[in-house]
Amino acid sequence: MNDLMIESRDLRFAYEKGTDVLTDVSFSLAEGEKVGLIGRNGAGKSTLLKLLVGLELPNTGTLRIRGIPVERKTLSEIRRMIGYVFQDSDSQLFMTTVEEDVAFAPRNYGFSEEEVEKRVTDALEKVRIPHLRKKSVYKLSGGEKKLASLATILSMTPDIILLDEPTVTLDPGNRSNLIRLLNGLDCSLFIASHDLDFIWDTCSRVLILSEGRIVCEGPSEEILRNGDLLRKNGLELPLSLIQRDRCK
Amino acid sequence: MSRIGQAISEIQTLESVSREDRWMNRIHPLSKLCLTVFYIVLTVSFSKYDLAGLFSMILYPAIAFMTADLSVRDAFRRLRAVLALVAVMGIANPFFDRTAILSFGAFTVTGGIVSMISLFMKAVFTVFAAYLLIATTPMDDICYALRLLFVPRILVTLLLLVYRYLTMLMKEAGRVTDAYLLRAPGQKGIHFRAWGPLAGQMLLRSADFAGVLYESMLLRGFTGEFRPTFRHSLKASDLLWPLGWASVLILLKLFPLVSVLGRLVTGNWN
Ligand SMILES: Nc1ncnc2c1ncn2[C@@H]1O[C@H](COP(=O)(O)OP(=O)(O)OP(=O)(O)O)[C@@H](O)[C@H]1O
Ligand SMILES: [Mg+2]
Repeated sequence: MNDLMIESRDLRFAYEKGTDVLTDVSFSLAEGEKVGLIGRNGAGKSTLLKLLVGLELPNTGTLRIRGIPVERKTLSEIRRMIGYVFQDSDSQLFMTTVEEDVAFAPRNYGFSEEEVEKRVTDALEKVRIPHLRKKSVYKLSGGEKKLASLATILSMTPDIILLDEPTVTLDPGNRSNLIRLLNGLDCSLFIASHDLDFIWDTCSRVLILSEGRIVCEGPSEEILRNGDLLRKNGLELPLSLIQRDRCK
Repeated sequence: MSRIGQAISEIQTLESVSREDRWMNRIHPLSKLCLTVFYIVLTVSFSKYDLAGLFSMILYPAIAFMTADLSVRDAFRRLRAVLALVAVMGIANPFFDRTAILSFGAFTVTGGIVSMISLFMKAVFTVFAAYLLIATTPMDDICYALRLLFVPRILVTLLLLVYRYLTMLMKEAGRVTDAYLLRAPGQKGIHFRAWGPLAGQMLLRSADFAGVLYESMLLRGFTGEFRPTFRHSLKASDLLWPLGWASVLILLKLFPLVSVLGRLVTGNWN
């Protein structure tokens, strides 16, 4: 049972009474699986990710991470396993330099200074920003902030990484670096994005969130090729697929 | 750059100066904190008429600034607001305290003037000593030293959070005013009619933002205590600097440099 990383059943959640953002969300994610979460603006993707790390708690339904229910008293255990990359990087970074920020989690988890040092170097190299190590986080560009945010999560070597719109501020070069990086990771990934090309390149399975529930799920191959289904949910076929079909 | 932008970058610069790998920065924060407190207490304890004694206290900031390789000009520039405030504080003294202390011909020096100068000197010296500490010790390390002195954890964490949020808050203010000014071309400053909504927005946004940042800390294992970045524990060599200075300062307090020099020159020891 424990090879299920995320298990969500009949999840219901509202920020304000009476207006449910999520009405009935059920899905699961296996160990090492890479899953995309797509849906129109305001569908509730970010909200679902927040529920997974316990930033919000569901009104009803159950949510388990590695078999452990997400509750107030299990939060520290849960958060040790999950890394969450915010949609807005400004919310993620709060220390003065990139280095300090990346070292924040490992230090909190009580690793030795040598280990912290090693993790910081590794994480910065993985996202290819070792040159920004000493830089102040206020002086980073939008894309650099995104990469630094990702490094702050990689340095804590989580079992699951949740990414909220990871490609929004990245240039094409860094976007392909990110794809390569994510494909090389062993941990489970859960990626919320409108960038369907990116989902196509990184995820094997896709969930569509609409009107508070998962309306459709299946292999990327199947879902991302279904133009009608995507259009019905405010999305479009991935560009790379359109071009590939044209070339045929 | 906007004024807020400048303020943020000043804090940033100071913070990065304090993180540079220099001799002064490597001294244990506890040593520097204790020395700073000791110096401030000693300086404040001088009588308000003891200009000569007080003047010798300049030795510590002067030499420490040189040792730390800090720019006095930058310090004056950064501290100008504080110094101006201090200058205003003592300005009333000459009107209240008119007892003559010295007179050169027609010109009389009253107690008020002397106490005004000594107040100003005390303030400048202590502010510079505090600046010296901040410019050579990152905030996290100062807080670490406070914890070693048994200052309650909640106070220290509060101090650190306020320090973190300060930059965020200023950044938020910068963004809001920029957004306003971009849609109010040709206008100098912010019209008073917009102050209310703007301040309200600022408050909501920064409260929200502080909440999100706190969440971000929680998600990365924050449990209410910041880990110091300081690598080594207190060594004998860390004591050399504060103990050395403490002895020099006590000697200066007992035998004011200026009057000792004066007596040497005049040969009058009585
Ligand atoms: N803090 C909040 N308080 C009240 N309502 C909120 C809050 N945050 C989001 N909502 C509402 O919840 C709904 C889902 O928001 P959410 O941010 O999860 O959408 P999303 O799918 O991530 O959208 P996007 O693609 O634009 O990022 C939206 O209708 C939004 O207005
Ligand atoms: Mg979102």
